[in-house]
Amino acid sequence: MNGITKWFIQLGKAFRQEMSTVIHDAGVLLFFIGLPVLYPLVYTAIYNPEEVREIPFAVVDHCRSAESRRLVRQADATSAMKLYDYAPDMQSARALMAEGKVYGIMEIPSDYSKCIMTGRQATVPFYAEMSLLLRYRAFLSALTDLQLHITQEVTAGRLASAGAAAPPISGLPINTQANILGDTQQGFASFIMPGIVVLILQQSMVLGICLIGGTAAERRRRNAPLAYSSDMASHGPMATILGKALCYVVFYIPVTIYILHYIPTWFDLPHIGNPADYLLLMLPFLLASAFFGIMLGNLMRQREDAFIYIVFTSVVFLFLSGLTWPRFAMPGLWHALAGAIPATWGVEGFIRINSNGATLAESSEPFLWLWGLAAAYLAACYAIARITARGRRANRSH
Amino acid sequence: MLSPALKGPLLRGIRSLASRKMYIFAMVAVPLGVTLFFLTLMGEGLPLRTPVGIVDLDHSQMSRQVTRALNAGELLEIRHDYESYGDAMEAVRRGDIFGFFVIPHDFQRDAIGGDTPTLSFCTNMTYFVPGTLSFKGFKTVAVTTAGSVVKTTLVGTGMADDTAQSLLQPVVPQVNPIGNPWTNYNIYLTNSFMPALLQLMIMLVTIYSISFEIKEGTSVEWLADARGSIIRALLGKLLPQTAVFLAVGMCILGMLFGFAHFPLHGSVWAMALAMALLVVASQAMGLFFVSILPNPRLALSVASLTGILTFSIAAFSFPVESMYGPVAIFSYILPVRYYFLIYVNEALNGVALYYSRYYFAALLVFPLVASTMLWRLKRACMKPVYVP
Repeated sequence: MNGITKWFIQLGKAFRQEMSTVIHDAGVLLFFIGLPVLYPLVYTAIYNPEEVREIPFAVVDHCRSAESRRLVRQADATSAMKLYDYAPDMQSARALMAEGKVYGIMEIPSDYSKCIMTGRQATVPFYAEMSLLLRYRAFLSALTDLQLHITQEVTAGRLASAGAAAPPISGLPINTQANILGDTQQGFASFIMPGIVVLILQQSMVLGICLIGGTAAERRRRNAPLAYSSDMASHGPMATILGKALCYVVFYIPVTIYILHYIPTWFDLPHIGNPADYLLLMLPFLLASAFFGIMLGNLMRQREDAFIYIVFTSVVFLFLSGLTWPRFAMPGLWHALAGAIPATWGVEGFIRINSNGATLAESSEPFLWLWGLAAAYLAACYAIARITARGRRANRSH
Repeated sequence: MLSPALKGPLLRGIRSLASRKMYIFAMVAVPLGVTLFFLTLMGEGLPLRTPVGIVDLDHSQMSRQVTRALNAGELLEIRHDYESYGDAMEAVRRGDIFGFFVIPHDFQRDAIGGDTPTLSFCTNMTYFVPGTLSFKGFKTVAVTTAGSVVKTTLVGTGMADDTAQSLLQPVVPQVNPIGNPWTNYNIYLTNSFMPALLQLMIMLVTIYSISFEIKEGTSVEWLADARGSIIRALLGKLLPQTAVFLAVGMCILGMLFGFAHFPLHGSVWAMALAMALLVVASQAMGLFFVSILPNPRLALSVASLTGILTFSIAAFSFPVESMYGPVAIFSYILPVRYYFLIYVNEALNGVALYYSRYYFAALLVFPLVASTMLWRLKRACMKPVYVP
């Protein structure tokens, strides 16, 4: 038997051994299966309403005219806004806001109808509560649309009365047309889910691997120095690391298809990419995540350490991925750190393919980065395995 | 003074905290480190100069004016002038740009000649914030360009300048964002995400430290040290943690409202009190989980699940009234939800303390609920069983 065959047999052994570890550990199975299966369902249940509608607002009408009531009716008729009540003055309107009854106050000035009738410009202040930017944004876009609507209405009438000197326009001489790509409905779930599911894949895998790592550390402490049966020594570090990673990747193939194909399909999220493109992208992503996890698993001293060390990183990695705060606006240090996290490129690549219909060739940057990260983390795992194996041998000989 | 019955458990609690570097990492390094991360990551407040492109098919004086107008604002930065719509679309798919603006052939001729050309723009909404900001930047320029053309025409026909302006915009809604007039994302996100992260770490540390006694089989001795009282045992274990987390919580408040100058329109004492109550309520939540499930892995799993979902379900970004009813109720079992509501009232909006009375009261309920389950924890501690 030559060296290469032996090496592959070792790889197969490591793979089988790890598969048996995973299957016989309820905790790992919960991370590898339970978490990626349930989390997307819970998240879509939270975000599935997609849009913010009918946000209550109050009106302080200093004008009390037919025109001002018309304005309020038109605002109330938008899908984003809902009239809660008229308030006699700003103080009582602010009290309504403090009680959380309304999130916006429209203050119509006393000369509103006069301005409209005499052809002057009327300014209507609107005060938006800022605890949630989504509400503010909904108010802002509803009011902008309302403004355009009124402009067309009023301007047409005024031009007609101003005499025919003005050009025959209904509104403006230049049309504007906005095209929304990707998340065409601008829904919240459609925006956040494609990114989150990729992050879930990485984090659940890393958690599971770290649970295995912590358990192994406990076992080593219990058994040492009696029997030194490190799997690293019996198989050689490279074969062991690759065998383990292969086991995790194989385990994650059905999970990945579920999370990247079925979740968007079931919940009507953007999903226009070619499966061949995003599944190929996932190959280096899963490998990089597996090596990343094996590397971190070395840090765990106790089985339960994964919870302390890994869970909070989901929040950090979510932000580093650029899903909320875009990467081009990150300071250099964080931009570089983000580049070292597999999920950053996984999220970026998957979103481009899934929501924008990019091909794998167009996503070559994330694809190449993921291969690079896989290689780098594999090298790190190998180095750690060599160093710790030497350390353990040295301990034993003392 | 300190009763001797409590002294033993307290010393034991302090010793076990000092026994592993992990505790310092989880209780001090993570909360403070992540606060610093958020503050520096979003230091700009708004991601300005979103990279976008332009497809100028007209190459006229007017189209160059539009290009300059696009670049002049702080929201957009034109990275490239693409030859065709297809080229620009490919750049969007590659991720080079977040949107592009199209000026059609013969734009200037049609605009002046009254043939109603169409200015169009595409924004990639898959990235919400840059998508939204580039949309806003494009729309502003499109509307003002259209407006200025009409105005020029109208003024040319002899109309007074301000009359023309009022014709174009008879009603201007002036939206005033209260409390955060810069729509600063740092203020918006850090103020809610940091306490939620603190809640997560508090729950995890509480559960870890208590269930570790069960895992190691030392829980019998732990109870015996406290002369058989689970309350004394818990006070000894948790009070040192409360002290550390209180200090860390106050540091976070100092970093947000002092160092970063986030709006604090109400009383700083109200925020300090809210933070203190959040710490205790989160400990209570952890204690509740570990009492129900006296198994380290299961209790930590439930706490992680709750802690991570908190970021979504506590409605920091998507409002609770827009969620489905059965989902929305879970928002109200989270301590940080009440902290967030207090923050909105006291720091952001600066309204009277009166309006937050129920939220303060709600935070006090958590320790009461946790105390009803202590008998289960005591039972588990007396016969420790570790299931891995």
